Amino acid sequence: MAMDIQVYYDEEQSVSHMALRGEVDIYTSSELKAQLQRLSKDHPDKDIRIDMSQLDYIDSTGLGVLIGALKILRPNQRNIYLINPKNNVRKVLKITNLDQIFQVEGDLHDEP
Amino acid sequence: MMNPSMDRICMSMPCKPQYVNVVRMTVSAIANQMGFNVEDMEDIKLALSEGCSNAIRHSEGSFFEVEFSMESGGLKISVMDQGKGCHENYQASPDLTNPKEEGGLGIYIIKSVMDEVSISTKPGEGTRIEMMKALEASK
Repeated sequence: MAMDIQVYYDEEQSVSHMALRGEVDIYTSSELKAQLQRLSKDHPDKDIRIDMSQLDYIDSTGLGVLIGALKILRPNQRNIYLINPKNNVRKVLKITNLDQIFQVEGDLHDEP
Repeated sequence: MMNPSMDRICMSMPCKPQYVNVVRMTVSAIANQMGFNVEDMEDIKLALSEGCSNAIRHSEGSFFEVEFSMESGGLKISVMDQGKGCHENYQASPDLTNPKEEGGLGIYIIKSVMDEVSISTKPGEGTRIEMMKALEASK
């Protein structure tokens, strides 16, 4: 499965939004990196909220991209919020301790 | 569920990122056929993808091989490349309080989600990552 990224900046709330769908791996992470770098450089003083509810998979390559974007935002005391990750995504965030680095929101999902 | 019968499947893959999802879909089908539960299947897909990404990023070779062994106790997977290899001390645990953008999490993730992992690598002799997920715990 490929990856789809929707991005918009909410002027009213002063927050950057991103919605991820599909799979982020060594192949698709370059597109995520380009979009996140653009967002974090265009609006370095704003938080980024990433909707992960339709993200089926992410590996260390994708996590590295998120870490890189966070390092651009951190000097401005901004953060990246990961919204409603699926259980498997939440698990890899926990394994790598990144659930303590990023702000993770949403409850565990009931999955078969 | 099939009766595990020590079958083996081998794949030879180009060292190109666009083919990692092919390996991921293949192992998903194999693990499903063996009777692994959803969580374990996700662990296996993740660990194997990390192994493939490691070969593509670090071997500097043109291809790598993946071997699946469907054993009675579980699924054993080997990822082998003939690339430049590296010193074995690269396996040092990453600093999880100060994660790095450039990586270092891949091997750590494999070791976290699989039941058995062994890595052999030497400069100039390629790298072999072996990982196993037990089937019994998945039922």
